[in-house]
Amino acid sequence: MKSRLSGFAVPYVVWMALMVVIPILIMVVYAFTTSEFEGTLENFAEMGVYASVFTRSFRLALIATLVCLLIGYPVSYWMAHEGPGFQRVAMALIMLPMWMNFLLRTYSWMSILENNGLLNQLFRNIGLVDVYNQIAVRFAADPALYKPTDYIPIIGTSGAVVLGMVYNYLPFMILPIYSVIVKLDHSLLEAARDLGADSRRVFRKVILPLSLPGVLSGVTMVFVPSVSTFAISRLLGGGTQLMLGDLIEQQFLGGAYNPHLGAAISMVMMVIVVVCMVVMNRFGEGEEQAVML
Amino acid sequence: MKKQNRLGSRLLIGLMFLFLYAPILLLIVFSFNAGDSSAVWKGFSLHWYGKLFQNRLIMESVYTTLLVSLLATAIATAAGTFAAIGLYSLGRKKREALLTVNNIPMMNADIVTGVSLCLFFVAFFQGWGTFARWFNDLQSVVELPERLVLGFGTLLLAHVSFNIPYVILNVAPKLRQMDRNLMDAAQDLGCTWMQAFWKVMLPEIKPGIVSGALIAFTMSIDDFIISYFTAGSASSTLAMTIYGMTKKRVTPEINAVSTLLFLSVLVLLVLSNLKEVRAEARSRKGAAHRSTALEKLGQRIAEPRFRWVRRGTAAALACAFLFTVVVLAKETGSRPVVNVCSWGEYIDEDLITQFEDTTGIRVNYQTAESNETLYSLLKSGGADYDVVVPSDYMIGRLIQEDMLDKLDYSQIPNFSLIDDRFKHLSYDPANEYTVPYAWGTLGIIYNTAMVEEEITSWSALYDDRYAGNVLLINNSRDALGEALLYLGYSVNTTDEGEIRQAYELVADANRRGVFQGRVMDEVLQKMEGGNAAIATYYAGDYISMLENNEDLAFVIPEEGSNWFVDAMCMLKDAPHQKEAHMWMNFIASTESNLMNMDYIGYASPNREALERYPAYYEELYGEELEPEIYDIMVTPPEILERCEAYLNLPAATLNLYNTLWTQMGVN
Repeated sequence: MKSRLSGFAVPYVVWMALMVVIPILIMVVYAFTTSEFEGTLENFAEMGVYASVFTRSFRLALIATLVCLLIGYPVSYWMAHEGPGFQRVAMALIMLPMWMNFLLRTYSWMSILENNGLLNQLFRNIGLVDVYNQIAVRFAADPALYKPTDYIPIIGTSGAVVLGMVYNYLPFMILPIYSVIVKLDHSLLEAARDLGADSRRVFRKVILPLSLPGVLSGVTMVFVPSVSTFAISRLLGGGTQLMLGDLIEQQFLGGAYNPHLGAAISMVMMVIVVVCMVVMNRFGEGEEQAVML
Repeated sequence: MKKQNRLGSRLLIGLMFLFLYAPILLLIVFSFNAGDSSAVWKGFSLHWYGKLFQNRLIMESVYTTLLVSLLATAIATAAGTFAAIGLYSLGRKKREALLTVNNIPMMNADIVTGVSLCLFFVAFFQGWGTFARWFNDLQSVVELPERLVLGFGTLLLAHVSFNIPYVILNVAPKLRQMDRNLMDAAQDLGCTWMQAFWKVMLPEIKPGIVSGALIAFTMSIDDFIISYFTAGSASSTLAMTIYGMTKKRVTPEINAVSTLLFLSVLVLLVLSNLKEVRAEARSRKGAAHRSTALEKLGQRIAEPRFRWVRRGTAAALACAFLFTVVVLAKETGSRPVVNVCSWGEYIDEDLITQFEDTTGIRVNYQTAESNETLYSLLKSGGADYDVVVPSDYMIGRLIQEDMLDKLDYSQIPNFSLIDDRFKHLSYDPANEYTVPYAWGTLGIIYNTAMVEEEITSWSALYDDRYAGNVLLINNSRDALGEALLYLGYSVNTTDEGEIRQAYELVADANRRGVFQGRVMDEVLQKMEGGNAAIATYYAGDYISMLENNEDLAFVIPEEGSNWFVDAMCMLKDAPHQKEAHMWMNFIASTESNLMNMDYIGYASPNREALERYPAYYEELYGEELEPEIYDIMVTPPEILERCEAYLNLPAATLNLYNTLWTQMGVN
């Protein structure tokens, strides 16, 4: 029976080789060749110029991941302590936006964050814009030249890009953390309390370590799409702040056609992400469950 | 937990939901807007819901999305289940190695998966082309297609390949939990293997299969990036259509379609939830093995408390299936087609309908963002167009790189109506490849309510006084061309020093924060909404912006500007040559040119249409066309003298443009 069943794996292996391994190999070939397909390392040398794009992407993705964690953890924790009815409705509400296209939701943010958008109209009405001008003039390089604005710049800043990432990927942080916390064995918590731990200590010594696998998978699921996004930075960042995703997209379908450079950048990004993940998994290895791989 | 704590935490959870739902509510509210703005409320109306069902682009992309998701889910579920069974019976070492490979598509950023698949498909097509030519030469019994392009097939393959891993990850744990001896026992008791599979194994692993299929479906529906790189030009999913629209104007039909989708999911959820409000969750024993994040997600969905998710998605699947069948039934009769790629809002769509009604030829109309994007699309092998409408300098480049086919002008009698000024231009001196479509000038558009002085020079673009309020045009040729003009150089210079100097001018302004953004068609909504003070764009688009914001002014700076001609060309080996010629002839007619000129605001190259337009306008709107407006549309000769056309640049200069342009915005 065994040999017969393992035959089922053959088409799958062929498929994976064809659709996963070979495409990545082709990408690697592109990364190491010129447009005439002669071997070269130039694509990587050229990338030095874009070091700041790498740091910016990783920085923004990291900030977004941290913000997601700071919002996601307490929310998951509190939700897990609510009644089952509340939990059911809350989970439904968290998943519901995922069925609406993320581009649409991001686009909607555009009309909120524009200089003349809803948020700035609100700020203007409550006088926040004046406060902003007073602060900005103090920080201006030359206060005499500072021209007061009638809006607070939001769109086109890296803050707006981070907001877009947090907004789109927050559910990916909440879901895994919540599902770990809700499954925690309550007898463990009771035992800790019986042994004299106060609630803060119970949280630090029992709940937090046990929920770490959920945190790790949440971090992965937020960080990877954040670091490689191009639609969010394009819509909310106004295109002045390039991210890795934009850079890659530009080389393939955008204004600067150079798939070899694009492949090289993709490859470097892939390697960095994989290394980060492996390191993180080592870090989580000591726990009950490892999360990825 | 204490009571007061709970109140506080609920408040914060509520705030989070406000954050999650504010933009969605806004979308829904504005789907009922009488006006076409997504920021200004003009009264309640259901108008956009009616228009939605007439909008072919949106309806077709909804159909493509559902069809590809359904097919990919079905294929991936079957394939993934069998693969999991196969994997499960392998030795531990082999299994773990294969599962690691299985994780690759999920660990990788979507963009890497998309890019690598795109490269793979293109490489395969090239190999196939060579093979097919050789094979067709060898024998004449079977004729293999020599030209393959990205399209629905590659889109489906890509979706299947990123869906399979999710299915495997959901089925594998169920197989592991199953008693290995069950299958043997069943066969010992006289079952054939197939019977044992159906009666014993399948019921055991069914929950895993179901949750795997549901996750696969959700991922397919939600995907944008992988589709974007593998769908090519002929098919686009809803997400791609929306992405294309966010560059120009997202029409409220999109709000309407998303409201409908959102409400149907919501209703399904509420219905299925109501039924089991009292049915409490059974014991939630988690799987003991090491599980990944996605597996967990899958398990959670498979749990009883998530029944609503399963029911909701199952109902959505059923609806999608019905819809697909209906549309498929409608689509079966195949018609001749012509694939056209042009710019956003660059045609009166009634012309497409007219052409289809009179000739019976289906027009597959797609848009590209800029000449450079179009070039990338053509080069990457992602495009399957017959007719493209590039600008002058890009036509020169396409001709030089042997990417266009010569036209048969005997099939385009209307070509004689084109003004001689627009024939035999530098990009096509013998006029063998092109039929002019429209022409115009590049200029500065500014909001007189936000800029007090009168702008006359390109210097305004780099002026700190307008910091954060200037929109830089997002294509290298125009953005650097403006800087070259400001510095007093030719837009066609090949001098590296001059180009670098122009680049420094723009890059420095960018570093100083003068630019609010780099935009192409987004400029319309930004300028109309008063969200930026100064931008550069084409005269024709200024005319349509003016309709929505009267404060806008247009000027061709004193340093001069660029004037351009966009012309229709046919791509090399275009599959629908006859239809392509018919389309070009139809578009070149005076009637079409008048309609187009009125709709897009760009000047027509058709002699009669140019002369007749003011009268046409008066007849249509019952008021006289202001001469200033006509002069902006149809630039008078004395201003045209100051303008220079772009020429195709040598490869070294083009490379310099590309490199500099990619570096812009890096610092």
